[in-house]
Amino acid sequence: MPGLLRLAVAQVRRDRILLPIWILGIALLGFATASAVSSEFSEEGDRRAIMAVAAVNPSLLFLRGLPDGSGIGPVVFFQGYAFTALLAGLMSTFLVVRHTRTDEELGRAELIGSTPLPRSTPLGATLLVGCAANLILAGCVAVGFAAAGLPGDGSLTAGAAVGAVGLFFVPVAALMAQVMPSGRSANGAAAALVGAAYLLRGIGDAVGTPNLELTRVTSGWISVLSPIGWGQRSRPFTAPDLVPLVVVVAAAVVLTVAVLLIRGRRDLGASLLPERAGRARSGTGGQSLVGLAWNLQRPTLIGWCVGAAVMGGIAGGLGPVVTDAVEGNNSLAELIGRLVPGVEAQIVDVFTAALIGIAGVLAAAAGIQCVLRMRAEEAEGRAELLLAVPRSRTSWLTANLALALASAVVVAAVAGSAAALGLWLTGMTGTPGTELLAASLAHVPAAAVFVAAPALAFATVPRWSVPVGWGLLAAGLILGQFGELLGLPEWLQAVSPFHHSPAMPVEAFDPMPALSMTLIALAGVGIAAYLIQRRDLTT
Amino acid sequence: MAEATDPIIEVRRLEKDFGRTRALDGLDLSVSAGEVHGFLGPNGAGKSTTLRILLGLIRPTAGTASVFGMDPWEDPVHCHRDLAYVPGDVSLWPNLSGGEVIDLLTGLRGGADETQRSRLIDEFEFDPRRKTRTYSKGNRQKVALIAAFARPARLYVLDEPSAGLDPIMENVFRREVRRVHAEGATVLLSSHILGEVEQLCDRVTIIRAGRVVESGTLADLRHLKLTHFRVDGVRADLLAALPGVQGIHDDDGGALEFEVEAPYLPAVLEAVAAARPSGLSVSPPSLESLFLRHYAEPTAATGTLRRHPDVNQTGRD
Repeated sequence: MPGLLRLAVAQVRRDRILLPIWILGIALLGFATASAVSSEFSEEGDRRAIMAVAAVNPSLLFLRGLPDGSGIGPVVFFQGYAFTALLAGLMSTFLVVRHTRTDEELGRAELIGSTPLPRSTPLGATLLVGCAANLILAGCVAVGFAAAGLPGDGSLTAGAAVGAVGLFFVPVAALMAQVMPSGRSANGAAAALVGAAYLLRGIGDAVGTPNLELTRVTSGWISVLSPIGWGQRSRPFTAPDLVPLVVVVAAAVVLTVAVLLIRGRRDLGASLLPERAGRARSGTGGQSLVGLAWNLQRPTLIGWCVGAAVMGGIAGGLGPVVTDAVEGNNSLAELIGRLVPGVEAQIVDVFTAALIGIAGVLAAAAGIQCVLRMRAEEAEGRAELLLAVPRSRTSWLTANLALALASAVVVAAVAGSAAALGLWLTGMTGTPGTELLAASLAHVPAAAVFVAAPALAFATVPRWSVPVGWGLLAAGLILGQFGELLGLPEWLQAVSPFHHSPAMPVEAFDPMPALSMTLIALAGVGIAAYLIQRRDLTT
Repeated sequence: MAEATDPIIEVRRLEKDFGRTRALDGLDLSVSAGEVHGFLGPNGAGKSTTLRILLGLIRPTAGTASVFGMDPWEDPVHCHRDLAYVPGDVSLWPNLSGGEVIDLLTGLRGGADETQRSRLIDEFEFDPRRKTRTYSKGNRQKVALIAAFARPARLYVLDEPSAGLDPIMENVFRREVRRVHAEGATVLLSSHILGEVEQLCDRVTIIRAGRVVESGTLADLRHLKLTHFRVDGVRADLLAALPGVQGIHDDDGGALEFEVEAPYLPAVLEAVAAARPSGLSVSPPSLESLFLRHYAEPTAATGTLRRHPDVNQTGRD
């Protein structure tokens, strides 16, 4: 037991900066949402109106969650829960993979493995740390809600509902670490599962049935497949019920036992998905910098494209279902028309625009990841090999940035095409498919700005490029998702490039912001290409 | 081999600071065309930093470095045109195979010589199909070595290239260095393996704490070294006063031990003969003791070229 604890303490020490940022960041987001709701929607009537709009608006249901009454607590839970739970899942994913598969891949696990401890002890320590982190997260989220003035027992349940989802993904990520051969692929697989949990919950909620007063929506059966869906069923501020959370935790316990058993029987460094032999010679293009960047980025890019295709497919394919749900109910349509004039006509478009907006975020993320790969190459010593050949640093940077921008375009295009295809398959005649493709591609200029920022950081302050890259994306995402709700000033919201992307097909395409963002991005890329020659290679 | 050809590498008063740490402190280095130059020093002496400056990967704080007569920081592309590099810590792309990495690195330099490539893969007994993630340290080293030697270069910069190789593979490596040397290439070889340096290098430079402490041909360095004497049946006072005799003491078995500087050898030999010893052993200067002497010197004492050592520190062969 002391060995287990010692390892757990060592892992906590390694995470002493990262984990508090995750936990406090998530709790702060909950606190900010709760304070914003209580100040912006202090009137019962306002809350009733917004929930009614949400109840019949599948895009809001998809992105946010289930309306469950018009008290402040339920509105906060509706606005913030799913996204907070998503973050908790990602926190667990990166935490677990960092201490398991990545350590194993980089040979650090071997040293620990030589000590007189059972084979699964290091994994056990990580699971313990993950469990503790999510307990603390649950506590912090609860404190955040309570501090914003929400009732104590509801806050506790809500915190527990966030923590339970995080807890569930601890063994899930550990399982992916047993299955996948590298830290990167394990992170990708586990994060995709977190995304899938959000998605299944979103689909279930989007096709859910509102009650007649439009204060409450019962989600479709499909959200039962998602731990976030289960967490929602705890209904913290309406009718607190811990049973769904117990189900989630029980599932986590079963997974934990399974993972520990697998680790106890597995060779160090081996994975359930085995490493295949590679090719003896490089393929076409395998001898150029662009070819190398492409070879390295291809699996990741495929992952982003799958995500974008799913998003687009849902946007296109679910549209008709959404329309039917609204149109099939005359009194409902009438009510919406009364509450928010004009909303009814656009309901499908709003849904589509919201999902394609997410695809725009995926496009930016794909580009950022491609840029940050250069930093990994440098920090892990491979850039040294690459830059000892007769190629300039600028050509290396340009090759990677070109691929980053191309990745963003491809991911956006895949989302748009999938949306168009989904629309065509369901036989809808409303929005033409080409317009959906254009709607996706309209997000490319903003994505290009997100590519240029880490490129600039990489060329000047390389050690900061990773936090800059992902931090800006997270900031942009939060400004976009929560900026309006939190009542942030317009100029601050306008800082996010996403803010300037037209929400087609609801809004018209405006060439000016697109053009200026493209120019800003190109200028950033150009400056980075020049500055990269002026600094030392650093590890 | 120290003929007066144009230097391929010329480093003068090189300084490099990393924050408040001084890695290089006025380092000079000159490597002539066609020589194999050993570059030695204890861990942290600044060897890799020097090589990285020579590659233009980092910029010197002060001083100048030139490779093929060009500034590697300002013009890395031209400097690298005829250069092959093996880094000290070979890190590879985990999801590419060894063969793919070799093709990538040689391809970026203009393409491998196919016969050399397949010969090297055979001789290093290397499996190019495996993903580099699964390679041991020695195998990663082989990737970098095969990529370096599979295409002719005028200059080879090798940073502890045989680390992790087994003795047989080490021999293959030495054969390759001799081959490119015979073909007229210049080699800068940083190494800790003294046998390797002794076998391969024409000249060596020893650095410590960012400065050169010794530079010259191995023969030159040997002359500086003290010859070790062990004499039986002679009283210490007969020899202790002779010029050039240092560190005289009794060993456990009653014999007398001391070191002699090269110029005084004839006189000391005569005196020893005159003292009629009952037994005598004389050990030649070993490179190892030379290196140990430099490596073990306290940091404060560095900087003077060709200092005479404190003999009490050196008497271990």
